[in-house]
Amino acid sequence: MKLSAFVLAVGLLLGQHALHAAPLSIELQPAAANPAAPQMGDNLTFHSVIRNDGAGPVDGLIAWISLVQVDKGKEQPVDLEDWSAHKAVTAAALLPGKAIETDWPMRLIKAGHYRVAISAASRTGTHLTTSAFADFTVRQKPVVESRRVLPVAFGIPLLLGVALIWRRPRRGTGSG
Amino acid sequence: MSATTLIARKEAGELLLSPRGLAWLTAVAVALSAFALLLVSNTELSLLDNAQVVYDMAGIVTGLGSLLGLVVGIDAVAGERERGCLVPLLLAPASRSAILLGKLGGVAIAWAVMYALSLPYLWAVGSTGQNMADGMLVCGLLGTPIVLGFGFFGMGLGCWTRSSRTALLTGIVALLVAASPLLLGPGLRQSAVGAMFDAVNPFSAAVDAYDAVIIDSQTIAAQGAHILVAAAWIVLTLVFARSGFAKVTR
Repeated sequence: MKLSAFVLAVGLLLGQHALHAAPLSIELQPAAANPAAPQMGDNLTFHSVIRNDGAGPVDGLIAWISLVQVDKGKEQPVDLEDWSAHKAVTAAALLPGKAIETDWPMRLIKAGHYRVAISAASRTGTHLTTSAFADFTVRQKPVVESRRVLPVAFGIPLLLGVALIWRRPRRGTGSG
Repeated sequence: MSATTLIARKEAGELLLSPRGLAWLTAVAVALSAFALLLVSNTELSLLDNAQVVYDMAGIVTGLGSLLGLVVGIDAVAGERERGCLVPLLLAPASRSAILLGKLGGVAIAWAVMYALSLPYLWAVGSTGQNMADGMLVCGLLGTPIVLGFGFFGMGLGCWTRSSRTALLTGIVALLVAASPLLLGPGLRQSAVGAMFDAVNPFSAAVDAYDAVIIDSQTIAAQGAHILVAAAWIVLTLVFARSGFAKVTR
C-alpha cells in the first residue's frame, strides 16, 4: 500500500514537471569570425539555435537578445538602441523537433565586460526559456572626445561672430 | 614697401578686418564646427578611428579652403571690377605684374588664415590618435597648391567672364567635380573612368596623399607623384590667371 502511494506520488510529480517544462531549448555561441579581442567599433555576431524539444508545436514564438554590463559598479542592462538593429526574431509556430537558427549582429559601442543571452517566450507557454550566457569584453579605443571638440566647435565661430559684430558698428560710424 | 606687398596686405586686411571677409571666415568655421559636432553627436561617427577622422577633416578643410580661395580669387578681379575699384587700381603707379602678384598674395593669405583656423579643429578631433601632426603637415603641403590653384582659377574666371556671378557659378561647378573624391566611394573611383579622372584631378592627388600619410602611415616624402599633380595644377591655374589678367588690363 505504501509502495503504491509512493509510486503514485512520484508519477504525479513527474507528470506535473512534464506539464510545466518548457519544450524549448536555446543554444548560443559567438560566431567563429568574431575578433579575439574586440574593441569599440568592432562588430560581433552571436549564433543561436532555438529548438522545440517538446511533443507539440510552439505557437507564437518570440526570441530576443539581452545584454548586460557586469563591470564592478557599472552593473546594468544595456539599451541595445545603438548596439544592434536586430533585436528579436519571431515565428508563427515551431514544430516539434524543428529549430530556428539566428545570427545576432552587434556593434560594440562602449568598453567593458558584457554578457549576452537569448530569451524566448511563446503565446501559451508558462515559462521563459533562456540560453546560457555568452561573455565578451570590449576594449577601449581612442575616439573623438566631446570635451575637446565642444570648446573648439563653439568657441571659434563665437570669436569670429564677435569680431564680425565688432567690425560692423565701427565701419558704420566711420562712414557716417 | 613694394606695391605687391601693399596690395597683398590690403587684400588680407579685407579678409581679416572687413565684415565681408569675417563673414566668410565665420561661415567656414561654422562648417568645420558642424562637422566636428556631427562626429561627437552621432554614435556611429564618434566610433570612427581618430586617423579616419583627421583624414576626413583634412579633406573638408581642403574643400572649404578651395571654396574660400575660389571666392577670394573671383572677388579679387570680378568683384573689384563690379564695385568700380579695378580701374583706379590699374591706374595706380604699379606694374601689372605687381598688381597680379599682390592679388595672388591675397589668396595665399586667405588660405593661410583658413589653415590656421583649421588647426584647432584637427587637434580637437585627432589628438588621441595616430599621425595627427603628419596630417596637419600633409594638409598644409598638399592643401596649399590645391587651394591656391582654385584661388588662381577663380581669379582667371573673374577675368575671363563678364560677371562675378557667372564666374562663381562656373567655379563652384568645377570645384564640385574636382572635390567629388570626397563624396564618391572607393568602388566608383576604381572604375576605369574614375581612375582616369583621379590621375589628373589635383583634388584626388591631395585626398590620396592624406589617405596614405594619415591612415596608412606612409611618409610624406613618398607622396612625390601626388605632389607633382598638385604642382602641375598650381602652375596651370597660375598661367590661366595671368593670361586672364593680361586680357583685363589690355
